[in-house]
Amino acid sequence: MAHVVLKDLVKTYGGFKAVNDVSLTVNDGEFVALVGPSGCGKTTTLNLIAGLIPITSGDIFIGDRVVNDLDPKDRDIAMVFQNYALYPQKSVYMNLAFPLQMRKLPRDEIDKKVREAAKVLDMTQLLERKPRELSGGQQQRVALGRALVRDPAVFLMDEPLSNLDAKLRVQMRSEIKRFHQDLKATIVYVTHDQLEAVTMADRMAVMNGGFLQQYDSPAQVFAHPANMFVASFVGSPAMSLIPLEASTANGGTVLTSAEGWSLPLSQLNARKVLGATTRKIVLGARHSTIKLHKSAAPGAIPAKAYTVEPTGDVTFVQAFLSGAIVNISVVPNIAVTPDEHIWLEFDQERIHLFDGETEMALHAD
Amino acid sequence: MSTIAATVPRGRTRRRVRVDGWRWAGRIFLVFMLLYTALPMIWMLITSIKSGFAAMQFPPQWWPEEPTLASYQKLLDPQNSVGQDFLRFFWNSLFVSTVTTILSVIVAVPAAYAFSRFRFPGRNFLFFAVLLRNMFPAVIFLVPLFILMRAIGLVNTHGSLILTYLTFGLPLAIWLLKGFYDNIPVQLEQAARIDGATRFQAFILIVMPLSTPGIIATAIYSFIGAWNEYIYAYTFLSKNEQLTLPVGIQRFFSENTTDFPGLMAASFMMSVPVVVLFLVLQRYFVRALTEGAVKH
Repeated sequence: MAHVVLKDLVKTYGGFKAVNDVSLTVNDGEFVALVGPSGCGKTTTLNLIAGLIPITSGDIFIGDRVVNDLDPKDRDIAMVFQNYALYPQKSVYMNLAFPLQMRKLPRDEIDKKVREAAKVLDMTQLLERKPRELSGGQQQRVALGRALVRDPAVFLMDEPLSNLDAKLRVQMRSEIKRFHQDLKATIVYVTHDQLEAVTMADRMAVMNGGFLQQYDSPAQVFAHPANMFVASFVGSPAMSLIPLEASTANGGTVLTSAEGWSLPLSQLNARKVLGATTRKIVLGARHSTIKLHKSAAPGAIPAKAYTVEPTGDVTFVQAFLSGAIVNISVVPNIAVTPDEHIWLEFDQERIHLFDGETEMALHAD
Repeated sequence: MSTIAATVPRGRTRRRVRVDGWRWAGRIFLVFMLLYTALPMIWMLITSIKSGFAAMQFPPQWWPEEPTLASYQKLLDPQNSVGQDFLRFFWNSLFVSTVTTILSVIVAVPAAYAFSRFRFPGRNFLFFAVLLRNMFPAVIFLVPLFILMRAIGLVNTHGSLILTYLTFGLPLAIWLLKGFYDNIPVQLEQAARIDGATRFQAFILIVMPLSTPGIIATAIYSFIGAWNEYIYAYTFLSKNEQLTLPVGIQRFFSENTTDFPGLMAASFMMSVPVVVLFLVLQRYFVRALTEGAVKH
């Protein structure tokens, strides 16, 4: 296993920058998820690491080697593709054997390794089948087997679970996580599903528009999103972002809504607002940190329920506040009906404040 | 009430009759097409086993009174001058068509792959330039190509025909194969390259086997095109020992008599390689022409 370092990585297509100055380090044995909406450059970044497309500028290190100009076959990587890319004309056995044959291993050693991998992935009885005779989950497993059979320095995975149905996806998610723990493998994993990234990765690199937005552990990204994009992308339902205006009143700082209500800030939060470049402040709050009252309460802001979605353990309520959608989760025994008047209380210690112009998170320094 | 009850079944009946009518029209059309294509073939076969006299009789003998394989024996007999000529023409045709087919596949496969996979300057222009040739009837190029062939000294060689057939056959071959490569996911090659193959190995080991049906279809197209071609062979070749079958068969027409059974036997044998090719490879051929019609 080896570490991977991206340094000022750039990929342009004509005038379009698909990957923009991305720098990050994947430690030896670390599971890193590249996550972002489609078109954010995550798959391009992965293909650059794999060497499937040439880089425009910057450096890629795998282990201590610069691999910028190396062929994919010389980078000592293995890749799992979204559509699995199993060789349709070859049996499962030959699919698994192919990378070893290409490395000119002796026949008996190939046989030993293929059978070993098949045993690990519990598909010894499938070895003679052709890929089209396998279910989606089995194909996925073969693709994984073909990657692990030759013990590469780095595993690259491009949305390996997105073609599976929901139930199988959850199951394979834990299998891949287990696989990472057992092998202490270095894995770079691309996904558009933030939940996959949060549940599986040691660290996640959130990308948007070709830029790396934030690179940290899922817990850190969740607790301290660097900007409004990360805040709205990570977490489900999304963090509510309410555009407000900061002003001073009675010696304290308040955030005022165009709707007329205002929210006094705690001292710590007031200090954060001081660092903003503008008076436009965006208030961010996750659904679980907003308290819903059925009647007027001190400090609570009046709103009107829009939709109510019971999921069993929690009920999600959507409301409009200052023109933004606010998600609130409540325990199911609080019955809320659509169009009912409700009052929302924000937890001063758990709200996020963003600069309305730069969209960056505000910190008190 | 009664009017509704009366009209509903009538409307239903009328509709059923109309559907049946269309179906029968379709069947009659198919029977007609079948006769249209099969009758000349059948008549060719029947005539080829008649004697020269029986072939000219009127009213015709629908089935020969004395069927004979004499025409076939004559054509396949290397001792006989007619047989010598026929076998030589047959061999010439086979040679020209086979070389055309092989070269066509050798050129079309990498060309189609490049058009499908690589983005290079002038790609679209070149691709349409390749198709541009198909906009004109082949005869238009007859005189210019003859002058060109004379200038480079290829008149009266099989090389002139092979070059010409390649020029005409390649655009379609490239076009057909490109569609094939477009349908092979690029991830397969990427996987192979990551698994340790060079780009070329990925092409040979992974992509080529998957495109076999396309290659076979392309080969059949080139072969049949070259095998049946008449006007260029007639123009470029004048020496007897170099003629190809379509031109050579003309020798059965002469000023005074035409050996119709011999002509028909030769025509029949000329169709044998094509029919055999089709029968053996038809399964690939059909797959190739419908490939990409539906997403698998």
